[in-house]
Amino acid sequence: MTLTSVGQNDSTRRLSAPPHTLAELFLGFLSIGARSFGGVLPSAHYVMVEQRHWLTPEDFTETIGLCQVLPGPNIGNVAILLGKRWLGLRGAIVAFLGLFALPYLWVLVLAVFYSRWAARPPVSAVVTGVGASGAGLFMATAVKLARPIARKPAAVVLMAGCFIAVAIGRVPLLVVMPIAVIVGLYLSRRRML
Amino acid sequence: MTLIELGLYFALLSLLTFGGVSSVIPEMQRYIVDVKGWTTAADFMHLFAVAQAAPGPNVLFTSLIGYRVAGIAGSVVALLGLCVPAAALTWVVSTLWERVGDSPWRNIIRRALAPLVVGLTFAGGYIIAPPHTPDWRLWLIALATAAGVLRTRVNPLWLLAGGAVLGGLLL
Repeated sequence: MTLTSVGQNDSTRRLSAPPHTLAELFLGFLSIGARSFGGVLPSAHYVMVEQRHWLTPEDFTETIGLCQVLPGPNIGNVAILLGKRWLGLRGAIVAFLGLFALPYLWVLVLAVFYSRWAARPPVSAVVTGVGASGAGLFMATAVKLARPIARKPAAVVLMAGCFIAVAIGRVPLLVVMPIAVIVGLYLSRRRML
Repeated sequence: MTLIELGLYFALLSLLTFGGVSSVIPEMQRYIVDVKGWTTAADFMHLFAVAQAAPGPNVLFTSLIGYRVAGIAGSVVALLGLCVPAAALTWVVSTLWERVGDSPWRNIIRRALAPLVVGLTFAGGYIIAPPHTPDWRLWLIALATAAGVLRTRVNPLWLLAGGAVLGGLLL
């Protein structure tokens, strides 16, 4: 295995070796998908940084950072970006397919089972409970993300505006998102966010 | 026809998916349930529950919606619809990015998006929790779970399991 050094100077130098074959890439992303119980990002970090040393921790953070400012499912974008960087278009497709293959099958199997049993009241009650609980997870995530920006009045107004327009007003996102992005960028450039 | 409509809708949504799939869940519910009537609010919530309980990326929720609307083909079309336009954009931007290098714009964009993602994620929870008429029992489960995440270090899967038990007892 050839190792390439990454990093600007010797003190921060870390070793990483990207995958060389499509098969290696596919198996790596398959393993990320298979381990993704309770969050894909931790499993992506484990497989690509700690286990296979495809990326340095800095590279990983940098890649996630870029994918988080782009639209789309973040981890899907990570697969595209890294697959492309390492093995071109075929790499991007293979990484994407590897990532989704197993989780897609699982979720579909669960859905088929659910459809078969949904009519029974106890099943419906349990699933409704999980749904309400999942809604609670979303609210908790929102609160966590809000903490660092909650002291900035412009951020609070923008958060509340998005919530009211979408949750209460039921305004289409196609209308809300462009306006919110433009206002957000304007405020952000003026250092108000 | 439904399949084409589904694919086009998710492809459009793909480019609005800032901050991950959780941001577009209220919009999906508005369109799939309110506008198209492809399923009920209660069923939408149930599929959301199945997606939350399954391992894997959040985006697979879209393939459950696709499955409900148009079977296996629908599940593939919805997933690809939501992923491919964003993937194409990622492809183009990553090429430019590696050419341009680091830019102050990245931080400006990140700070601009943060409040949007918070507002939309909270809207997702707010819309899912009571699927039709407000019900204190569902709010209790949702708020108890949120408190569990914020106050303890318990794995979220245990909190979902707690939601299942409470659902079975209360509903």
